[in-house]
Amino acid sequence: MSNIIQNKQEKRAEYRAMFRSNVKNRLLVDKIMMGVVFACVLIAITPLLWILGTLFYGGAEALSWEFLTGEPGAIGEGIPPAIGPAIQGTLIIIGLSSIVGIPIGVMSGIYLAEFGGNWFSKQIRFFTDVFMEFPSIVLGVFAFLLIVLFLGHFSVWAGAFALSLIMFPIIARATEESLKMVPWSIREAGAALGLRKWIVTLRIVLPAAKNGIITGILLSVSRVGGETAPLIMTILGSSQFFSGFDSPMDALPLRIWRFSLQPYDEARLAGWGAALVLVITILAIHIGVRYWFIHKRKKTDMIPRLSKIGV
Amino acid sequence: MATVITPKPENSTVVDNQIKTSQKKYKMITENVNVYYGNYLAVKNISIKFPEKSVTALIGPSGCGKTTFLRCLNRMHDMTKSARVEGKVMIDDIDLYDKSIDPIYHRRKVGMVFQKPNPFPTMSIYDNVIAGVRLNGVRDKKILDEIVEDSLKMAYLWDEVKDELKKPAIELSGGQQQRLCIARALAIQPEVLLMDEPASALDPIATQKIEETITELKKDFCIIIITHNMQQAVRVSDYTGFMYLGDLIEFRETKKLFTDPKNELTAKYVQGHFG
Amino acid sequence: MARLIDPSLEKLSKLMSQMGDMAIECVSIAVDSYLEGIGTGGRVRELSKEISEKYFQVEDLTFEMLLKYQPVADDFRLIRSSTEISYAFSRFGRYAFDITQVRHLFGDISECKNDSLIEAANKVKHMIREAIFSFAELDIRKAVKIQEDEAFIDKMYKERLPKLIELKNTKCALAEALLLRYLERIGDHAVFMSDAINYIVTGKHRPTEEQISSHISKE
Repeated sequence: MSNIIQNKQEKRAEYRAMFRSNVKNRLLVDKIMMGVVFACVLIAITPLLWILGTLFYGGAEALSWEFLTGEPGAIGEGIPPAIGPAIQGTLIIIGLSSIVGIPIGVMSGIYLAEFGGNWFSKQIRFFTDVFMEFPSIVLGVFAFLLIVLFLGHFSVWAGAFALSLIMFPIIARATEESLKMVPWSIREAGAALGLRKWIVTLRIVLPAAKNGIITGILLSVSRVGGETAPLIMTILGSSQFFSGFDSPMDALPLRIWRFSLQPYDEARLAGWGAALVLVITILAIHIGVRYWFIHKRKKTDMIPRLSKIGV
Repeated sequence: MATVITPKPENSTVVDNQIKTSQKKYKMITENVNVYYGNYLAVKNISIKFPEKSVTALIGPSGCGKTTFLRCLNRMHDMTKSARVEGKVMIDDIDLYDKSIDPIYHRRKVGMVFQKPNPFPTMSIYDNVIAGVRLNGVRDKKILDEIVEDSLKMAYLWDEVKDELKKPAIELSGGQQQRLCIARALAIQPEVLLMDEPASALDPIATQKIEETITELKKDFCIIIITHNMQQAVRVSDYTGFMYLGDLIEFRETKKLFTDPKNELTAKYVQGHFG
Repeated sequence: MARLIDPSLEKLSKLMSQMGDMAIECVSIAVDSYLEGIGTGGRVRELSKEISEKYFQVEDLTFEMLLKYQPVADDFRLIRSSTEISYAFSRFGRYAFDITQVRHLFGDISECKNDSLIEAANKVKHMIREAIFSFAELDIRKAVKIQEDEAFIDKMYKERLPKLIELKNTKCALAEALLLRYLERIGDHAVFMSDAINYIVTGKHRPTEEQISSHISKE
């Protein structure tokens, strides 16, 4: 009996020695890997910082009150070009697409998460994923055929339609994933209280998934804020301010594109300025929405709380 | 110790519902309840009468069907696609599984508390307690305030939270959260309270508080509690049912079942020979 | 797989069986030596003391088991009855010692007639043996016989005691009275023991109110 114990103790001592002997090697490998990972991060971040830097450097000069509120005018006549209509157009088109895209996207997400599990929802999920990868120009062409040709002229409706098609799958998937993150026990608790399913879903589960859904919405807004191709075929672009939903409208990506095609220096400068404004606008929307939720976020941030109650 | 030589009844299931005191009223009666998961029979033909204003404990090794059976009592299996329930579950002569009644309406007669505390994460303490009531359409603030105070008092939580009712519910400790869930279940004014291992996720002090709460609540409610802790069953319950592999093996007054079990399997289980 | 409580149950079993053996020896020696006029107080005193010590050990052990293991069902009934039974053993030892003390105190009592005592003594010895074996085997069928024996001793006690008043020789009368008393008490505890064994096996308390009330009327 003591023999066996002796053997065990000897073996343990052996193993210990073995582990200790290659500790130095393992620490070295660890450090190397850290270095590699860090280097990759730098490589990834560098172009981004470069772009931002170039934007600021190139476009800061162009910014002024007139620039932000004036009309583009005809280039080359000595009047400095401005992007007022473009800014207005971008905000309008994002707003309109959101009004259409967000409710439909969220509702689809709710359907997939709460009432899914059958064959039909599996197909929907598949098509949603495919939809997300659709080239936006194809969606633009589709909107062109469906609305522009039908109505006979370029219009804001067509643009909003095309962009909402882009927003919808992103929001739907984000909603579905966030809803799935809400623990099943919450739904059980709601059911045990004798509440109907749609009440449990809308009043209890959805608020708990709020953060993820907001993220999805912001992602989709940023995405469509910068889309150009679908806008070319639907709202066309114009040099005037908004003049009705049934006529063409300007937008920042379109304006940037126009400016960049012209050989004049002032056009190029205006292009940089417009690009800077676009990036700042999207950033502002992000920060604004996040900030508004930060107050509430600290208290209802689910992940640390969930781990606290042991889920 | 040598063998036991005695005329003892053998391994037949013994269900002794005869209470020697006066004619007791039964709050909930199950008749021939069977539960299938697909083709697998998880709960086999269980008939129990639960007396009013008492605590009944269901004990048994893991996987014996206690939770499955408990979930029949408030039709929670409606949420599971592959589950099928047969038999009757009667509260005061109304069969919950009767096709002609609205299950959700009658589900409100049975409150349930789960093993892990699960307060609604985005709501305050006040909103949590009142969730089942307010989301069912009651708006009058006075009534809601009254119900909140009442329920929290019954759950022994009022004194600890009465000044912080707007605090988010998930900032409470585990034991407090569980009592909050009890208050939430009580707020809908149920007639029967089901508890699935309510204290198993809690520390000993919190467990003690829960047990004290249960002992107070049994003066007004019929309570059915699942527990793995046999000492807890002895401390807290008036009647105990022992289940094994889906069958109800023995159902008697707690003291009798634990000092002199009639079925050998019961004796083996409570003495720790298996499970 | 052995449960946590099993080693303690084994220890309890060992203590009880030791006490049982000692009790049988103790009472037999005491009674026989009285009837035969031999003095064996020393041995009996020793045994009685040991039984007493073991009784306290059993008390400690049973309460420790309650504290640690919170036993239920068969274990619980066994532990509960063990306190009663070990008390009975300690009483056997004590009364045996008292019996030897009678001869010691009264001196020479060879002239006293012991006929009635002999039968009672045999019954008592038999009762203790039966009770102890019944405990070892947890066999409650012997309970009836033990009851009958006890009834006999009771009857003899009731009949004999008044007659002792008329006895000329006060020393003998007193000695016989004391003996009868001790034997009767040993018999009572044997019955209590058998009731406790019955509780282990069937979970029912036998109504012993009759015995208890009959004792009260005797006092």
